[in-house]
Amino acid sequence: MWQYVLRRLILTIPVLIGVSLLVFAMVRLVPGCPAVAIAGVHATPEFVEQVRRDLGLDRPLHTQYFIFVGNLLRGDLGVSTRTGRPAATEIWDKFPNTVELAMASTLVASVIGIIAGVISATRQHSIFDSGSMLVALFGVSVPVFWLGLVLMLLFAVTLDWLPAGGRGGTIEYLILPAITLGAASAAIIARMTRSSMLEVLRQDFITTARAKGLRERIVTYKHALKNALIPVVTIIGLQSGILLGGAVLTETVFAWPGVGRLMVDSIMARDFPVVQGAVLLFAVCFVFVNLFVDVLYSFLDPRIRYE
Amino acid sequence: MKKGLLMVSAVLLMVSMLAMGCPPEVEPEQRLVVAMGVEPPTLEPIRMACSPAATVSQHITQPLVYLDVDGSLDPSLAKSWEVSPDGLVWTLELRQDVKFHDGTPFNAEAVKFNLDRFLDPDNAAPFRFLIERITEVEVAGDYTVKLHLDEPFAPLVAHLSHSFIGMLSPTAVKALPEGELVDYPVGTGPFKMYEWVRGEHITLVANDEYWGGRPRLDKIVWEFIPEDATRVMRLEAGDVHHIYRVPPMDVPRLEADPEIEVVRASSVRVIYVGFNCLVEPFDNPKVRRALNYAIDREAIVEFVLGGAGRPSDAPIVPAVFGHHAAGPYEFNPEKARQLLAEAGFPDGFSTTLYHPTGRYMKDVAVAEAVQAQLRDVGVEVELVTMEWAAYLAYLRKPPEEATHTMYLLGWGTVTLDADYGLYALFHSSQWPTAGWALSFYKNEAVDDLLDAARITPDLAKRQATYKEAIELIWEDAPWIFLYDEVQINAQCASVRGLVLHPTERVQAWDAWIEK
Repeated sequence: MWQYVLRRLILTIPVLIGVSLLVFAMVRLVPGCPAVAIAGVHATPEFVEQVRRDLGLDRPLHTQYFIFVGNLLRGDLGVSTRTGRPAATEIWDKFPNTVELAMASTLVASVIGIIAGVISATRQHSIFDSGSMLVALFGVSVPVFWLGLVLMLLFAVTLDWLPAGGRGGTIEYLILPAITLGAASAAIIARMTRSSMLEVLRQDFITTARAKGLRERIVTYKHALKNALIPVVTIIGLQSGILLGGAVLTETVFAWPGVGRLMVDSIMARDFPVVQGAVLLFAVCFVFVNLFVDVLYSFLDPRIRYE
Repeated sequence: MKKGLLMVSAVLLMVSMLAMGCPPEVEPEQRLVVAMGVEPPTLEPIRMACSPAATVSQHITQPLVYLDVDGSLDPSLAKSWEVSPDGLVWTLELRQDVKFHDGTPFNAEAVKFNLDRFLDPDNAAPFRFLIERITEVEVAGDYTVKLHLDEPFAPLVAHLSHSFIGMLSPTAVKALPEGELVDYPVGTGPFKMYEWVRGEHITLVANDEYWGGRPRLDKIVWEFIPEDATRVMRLEAGDVHHIYRVPPMDVPRLEADPEIEVVRASSVRVIYVGFNCLVEPFDNPKVRRALNYAIDREAIVEFVLGGAGRPSDAPIVPAVFGHHAAGPYEFNPEKARQLLAEAGFPDGFSTTLYHPTGRYMKDVAVAEAVQAQLRDVGVEVELVTMEWAAYLAYLRKPPEEATHTMYLLGWGTVTLDADYGLYALFHSSQWPTAGWALSFYKNEAVDDLLDAARITPDLAKRQATYKEAIELIWEDAPWIFLYDEVQINAQCASVRGLVLHPTERVQAWDAWIEK
């Protein structure tokens, strides 16, 4: 088991090197010189030159990469060209907010998704089944920014129940962004739960359980759901990784001060050190969430062994 | 019946008890919430470079001179100023009753400390160019400062009014650890820094000791909400009092709401289409004038911008010192065709218009409108859209390397002095890569006038010099002069005394909320 974890950890190293190369290349492949973009319209040529030197863009490419990786290993992401503060501080300050939102929306998505999926499966072909799958289709298809704005219009402006964006520190500020961000995941989880449940419900041990005279509720929740959850957990894990990185739009719409919004602001200002750092952070999170889910398997299903 | 009466009196008793429990009536807190689209990246004077930073910082750290909404320069921390006959020494008399928020007295030493810090080449302040003519800041008395220049520079006082050159408490700056920049500025302004939660808001509290009298507001909260639609909804939901940049399509709805007031103010930015005056056919002024007559500016402002613009009547906006209304060019396609025929292009010609995307309000749609209107006079325009950084790099090339023909661009005269708007764009010494005269326009008379205005301290004379220069530029038409941008903000109808400055700054020190 631990050997497996160790092997997976070692395997993440080439992935992370790949990510660092991509992030490094990203900035250098942007059309035009980042120094000109950062210095802006009103800058003098001397100032542009100074920015170029500050960014190290006057050195050979491979030297730039090794400096970049060397600094990275020391936790130094460079200095934000927009704020003059360390990029790592900028990102780290916002990261808890993004995690908070991602966890809340994972929770919303899991609860709604699993409940809807189980009910749909147990009442296959009923109105609830088709209805909830229709809603799920809507949830997957609807653009996040549109859903966010509509929810805000309804619950903040018209009904005046919840605040329209911002992060006031209380739970009511979290509700709308969490639902908006979680909608697509809830839909995916619902569909996954439904099909997995249907599969399990057709198996012999369920028939046996029913034949023993167990109540339907016990059969559904104790015997079927527990077995049907394994693929669902995978999906929830993957989704939470996506939610972590996918918060960009939601955070912008709701003025939620997370890493996603920081990334948008930084891209607009061509604040490359922060953009690089944020992309790296998202990539690392995604890699580790995946690893965590894989490891979780063996706990959920003792039959699964890693050799 | 009796039972009912009993009930009623019980309820009444309870209500009166509740009422007695309320605290005595106090003046409610005057707290103004302003929602901006962009968070100030920093409030450090030697790093600031955008208007959101200037907006917040000017409530805390003040420049020496105040630039009023009408463009006049009013005394502030500097009571008065005068220039030596040779134009090389400016003497500033300072107020004597001013203290920084930390109690440090404001005096000539403090001014020297701040200006030296701003001018220090090692600090690389992006707006150092504003006052880079200063070679020495001399403390000539406790409250007298002499500024020595390397050459006469008339716009100096206007440039000193810039919010980026705010006065910081030297004590507070010196207390910073080596190499650290100012995070919470300590100034002389009507408000003090209270809290900065990055990504969320900055809160300022009233300075009870303010030399100009305590403001009526107790607190200002600057919220940062990037999405236009969200800002509008926060205003409609009553969560904020004032919002920046209302999308034109929301204006009619907000105007219909009696609790909301739409606020308009001119901005300092002009949007124009420049010609490369070195290449055919744009080396002919007749062609350039013809294209100016071919454009229906009113239509662009009304239908493309939803009213958020004003047809340009000069290369700078009216709020800028030195502005003179030479236009606008009338919309006259007939005259345009006639001028084209006189220039030898009776059937028009084909050319290319380069433009950025997402940099200015509706920039792509404006380029398309220009394309459509020029087609009506026989000029076929191909549009080339470029990403901003690539676009700037493409345009800013020396004449022998430049390949552009027509280009859409904007320029904000952020100093509110014509020198910055005209010299950098029309003086022939400013051809790239030295400056931003991307049209390669050269008229020696204009060069002389712009040089003269730079060193003429007399305001009336300067104004007259700029008038002459603008008339020549207008006639030579190195640009299609399009429009001045107009800012559209909105606020609760209960907000009073809030000023929307042409430099895109909200000024809230005289504001209050009518209860």
